[in-house]
Amino acid sequence: MSPELLFQQALNGLSFGALLFILAAGLSLVFGMMDVINLAHGAFYMLGAYVALTVVQRTGSFWLALVAAPSALGLLGLVLEPLLLRRLRGRHLDQVLLTIGVALVVVDQIGLVWGREVRSLPFPPGLDASIAIFGSVYPVYRLFVIAFGVVLAAAISVVYRRTKLGMLIRAGVQDAEMLGALGVDIDRLFAITFAVGAALAGLAGVIAAPVFGMQPGMDSDGLLYSLIVVVVGGLGTLGGAVAGSVLVGPIDTFGKVLFQDFALALIFAIVALVLLLKPTGLLGRVRIAR
Amino acid sequence: MVASEIPMIEIRDLRRAFGGVVALDGVSLAIGEGERRAIIGPNGAGKTTLFNVLTGELPPSGGAVRLRGKDITTLRPWQRARLGLARMYQRNELFAPLSARENVALSLGARAGPYRPFVARPRSDYLAADQLLEEVGLLGREHVAAQALSHGERRQLELALVLAQRPRVLLLDEPTAGMSPAETARITELIGGLGRALTILIVEHDMDVVFRLADRVSVLHEGRVIADGSASEIRGDVRVNEVYLGKALAVT
Amino acid sequence: MTRAAPLAVVLIAAALLVTFPYWSAAWESSRFATTVLRDMLVFAIFALSLDLLVGYAGMPSLGHAAFFGAGAYAAGITGQRLATDQLPVTLGAAALVAAVLALVIGALVVRSEGIFFLMLTLALAQIVFAIAFQWTALTGGSNGLSGVGRPTLAGLDFSAPDRMYVLVAVTFLGVALLLWSLVRSPYGRALVGVRENERRMRALGYDTARLKLSAFVVAGALAGIAGALSAYSQRFVSPGDAGIGTSIQAFVMVLIGGAGTLLGPVLGAGVVMYIQRVLSSAIGVSETVLGLVFIAFVLLARQGMVGVGRAAWSRARSR
Repeated sequence: MSPELLFQQALNGLSFGALLFILAAGLSLVFGMMDVINLAHGAFYMLGAYVALTVVQRTGSFWLALVAAPSALGLLGLVLEPLLLRRLRGRHLDQVLLTIGVALVVVDQIGLVWGREVRSLPFPPGLDASIAIFGSVYPVYRLFVIAFGVVLAAAISVVYRRTKLGMLIRAGVQDAEMLGALGVDIDRLFAITFAVGAALAGLAGVIAAPVFGMQPGMDSDGLLYSLIVVVVGGLGTLGGAVAGSVLVGPIDTFGKVLFQDFALALIFAIVALVLLLKPTGLLGRVRIAR
Repeated sequence: MVASEIPMIEIRDLRRAFGGVVALDGVSLAIGEGERRAIIGPNGAGKTTLFNVLTGELPPSGGAVRLRGKDITTLRPWQRARLGLARMYQRNELFAPLSARENVALSLGARAGPYRPFVARPRSDYLAADQLLEEVGLLGREHVAAQALSHGERRQLELALVLAQRPRVLLLDEPTAGMSPAETARITELIGGLGRALTILIVEHDMDVVFRLADRVSVLHEGRVIADGSASEIRGDVRVNEVYLGKALAVT
Repeated sequence: MTRAAPLAVVLIAAALLVTFPYWSAAWESSRFATTVLRDMLVFAIFALSLDLLVGYAGMPSLGHAAFFGAGAYAAGITGQRLATDQLPVTLGAAALVAAVLALVIGALVVRSEGIFFLMLTLALAQIVFAIAFQWTALTGGSNGLSGVGRPTLAGLDFSAPDRMYVLVAVTFLGVALLLWSLVRSPYGRALVGVRENERRMRALGYDTARLKLSAFVVAGALAGIAGALSAYSQRFVSPGDAGIGTSIQAFVMVLIGGAGTLLGPVLGAGVVMYIQRVLSSAIGVSETVLGLVFIAFVLLARQGMVGVGRAAWSRARSR
């Protein structure tokens, strides 16, 4: 592999990793707080992309879509948690099953409202060019994705460590029951967490859409990749989402280039291996028996 | 060495720590065949941990366990059960939605091995189950689901489950916990009536029960055996009285 | 009299089921009902096999389609590579491949529980899907395996639609009978014991890991048989047959029908197939309806249709 190609693939790996972080952070957060694997996470990711499509079609602004789509998803999460999940508080497996039903409905509705053809989101003007780096030409948008991912991770980190909400979430991830016993409004915290998770999924959808396009089946891809990242990096922690995405992004990219035929099987074999050897993931903490 | 001189249960220098907390700090016991041995001690002394290590649910940090001379320290719980070790749990471990009869039938079927995949359970199993239920005092309650039984009845079912295992060694973990005086008397009578082919190790807080049932008593404190002797010897032991603040062992 | 009556009903129902294409030809010459019922029965077998894991042994697997897909591919590939259409060969290959795969995957997952078990089964099933999707030389890759032949048995050719249906119906009855005797046996009761209180089962002397693994293999083999029937019926195998969507579909069937019963998965397969095949042509929102129905059951009727039926029956009797 030539140095230019290596460099390009490395950047591809990093931008994919950044995207994976945005996608997986929400899933990890919801699991850490509520012990629920939101199997509708991929559907939320897909919905975010399609909402962005409509916003861009109506207003022509990618940046507006970047705000509107996550907001819409956040609102959806804020409605769904009390409506559905809260009724099954404590029944984790059943809550997971509930999210399956939600995914079925959301994906079907997307197909009905927007149709099932392959669509794409145009690059925002200003980010649609390529620039010369180290002797090769590289799309600016992907550099934007890397930057956006880093900034978002930093912002989340600040909120997580410096704000009251962040502190509550950290405490909730540790022991939500205890927090409830201390008088914190767990219902509200769970609803907000679920909403944030959904919003992040939607945000990932917007960011990914110009690069990957939108088509039926993207919900499965989104869900599976987020599962890969959180399993490898560590369930329930944001640090795990970072670790997982930084690893999986480049591995997946290089894997596809080097082992075309078995790249997918390779990734899942790694997942299975991690689950067997260190079920809580690379950075995950051992949880007290639940 | 005569066979009957090999202790039924031999525990040698058993240790178990959880992180920095030492639960068992070198416990050594030898229990003879047919003996009734009571293990007493204040809360946190390590009694439940001892049972968990004996049954194999918890691996020890050190030491060994022998059953009839055979080293079982590394054996799994189900392997120990097959060798004749049975445990009655302190908090009932029943099969909640199944009937009392089905509960006992499951226990009866364990030794034969359940790999009879296409034949229905033989009638004889159910007859034997019903008989055991009658012995423990659950006549007429065979078809009631375990979760629908009263607390006392559930303890009776617990006992039926372990007896159905036809064990050589019985570990009773606070058998009278949470029982009314009448229920306690009944269970004590049932246990007292078990033949000497069975060796019994019993953890109890109720001293009346201990003195009624036990041949010998071992006292556990902070993970160690601090006294070992007949019931009357233990009653008068100074250290034991200190440990219990004299209350539990006061002559009634 | 009371013993013979239910048996007679069952036998009559079975006979009607097997001969469906012949007596239904009077009112549906398009064979649509036959095709839908055939596919329902294929999925009923699949759902029954999953129920053994989910409902009886208490192992909630989201990767059961791996065995369905493996069986489908095995049947199709053996038929093509060995240039045979002999039912024992291709169906046997399907069951064998699925069973071996279940043994491998089962050995890996049997020691985990709850959420981790769920994710492990999902991940391992995705490996199977990925292999099916990308090993184009063997499986046809993303285009799928086409030209799967209909089987023959001792000179009897199952190519015709009504013959194919009969094959599926007879297999369904065989599997149902097998599972019925299995769940009533000490082995079946032991699985229920593992589901209800694995700790106690171990304390009683049961090797629970081995029990769970054997259930996994049996369930996998039966799923593989369902997969083979699907391959023959559609004359086609797609990688999606091993994918997460198929796994979820089976889970939905088991839950809606009623986990831990035998009638449940069959009813569930019927309901889901009805929504997806019949309702979908009448209204465009069939998957939405399915999702909403599923949510309703999880929230309100966790025991499924059979559970609701039983509750209603005992309420009626106590009046």
